[in-house]
Amino acid sequence: MKMLIYGLITGLLFGFLLQKGRVLRYDKQLGALRLLDMTIVKFMLSSVIVGMVGIYLLHDLGMVKLSIKATILGPVIIGALIFGFGWGLLGYCPGTSMGAVGEGRWDAVWGIIGMIVGAALFAEAYPALKATVYNWGDLGRITVPGVLGVNHWFIIPLFIVGAVLLFRWFEKKGL
Amino acid sequence: MKHQDGGWSPYVAGGLSGLVGVFSVWFAGQYFGASTSFVRTAGLIEQLFGPERVARMDYFINVVPRIDWQWMFVVGIFLGSMISALTSGSFKLQAVPDMWAARFGAQSTGRRAMVAFAGGVVAMFGARMADG
Repeated sequence: MKMLIYGLITGLLFGFLLQKGRVLRYDKQLGALRLLDMTIVKFMLSSVIVGMVGIYLLHDLGMVKLSIKATILGPVIIGALIFGFGWGLLGYCPGTSMGAVGEGRWDAVWGIIGMIVGAALFAEAYPALKATVYNWGDLGRITVPGVLGVNHWFIIPLFIVGAVLLFRWFEKKGL
Repeated sequence: MKHQDGGWSPYVAGGLSGLVGVFSVWFAGQYFGASTSFVRTAGLIEQLFGPERVARMDYFINVVPRIDWQWMFVVGIFLGSMISALTSGSFKLQAVPDMWAARFGAQSTGRRAMVAFAGGVVAMFGARMADG
């Protein structure tokens, strides 16, 4: 029960900020895919930077556990291509579709129904995929610092510098 | 902090959302995600029609159909967005997004519904495959 309340409060805060950042809108998501408006990229990278620093800091203090998913090239690459195609049609991703309905953009409801159907179809296809695609290029639970064999605090500042340079370029181009 | 459309800078809102993520991992041990909840919802609905079948399916054995932290997180996103929109005057009932209307016309509600539905099916299939 406590976890459910944590989930609701965390979602409330996140949904509030997504709406304030104006990233829930079809026009913003299609704007990014059409390389016209990088608002969602700015939001995501800013979130990643803060999250990356905070979580690795807490991890080094032994206070949190990392959650590293396995990198399996087959399902990641094929799944990402399929996702991108659907995202371009829908104009919302799973989390933002809920937020979009919250701010009145109710065309996202069709997408939510579609996504529930898509999840059901995936559950049907899963045994066949598990026997095929999921065996293609399983690299295990890798990380960038792990593969390069360096401490994560070498990678984090490089990532931040790269993101800031990208932000500067976006602002110069008015994206 | 105000932007031209009344919103906040995406850097500020994004950075704060990252902070919410850090606190979530710290206090609840939970990383953000949304798409698993759509699987659980599909399983919950299918259970109404054939609970034995759902109980036998591999994927629903891995992702048990139930209301969990993430499911409530997704509900929270809806409510949080609504609170922000209603308190800032940016709530707007819209059947067709502006950019869509500019290309396909404001009266294309039916076409928008079909494309959004199909896009949702495809997007979720891909998202689950990539485990995102």
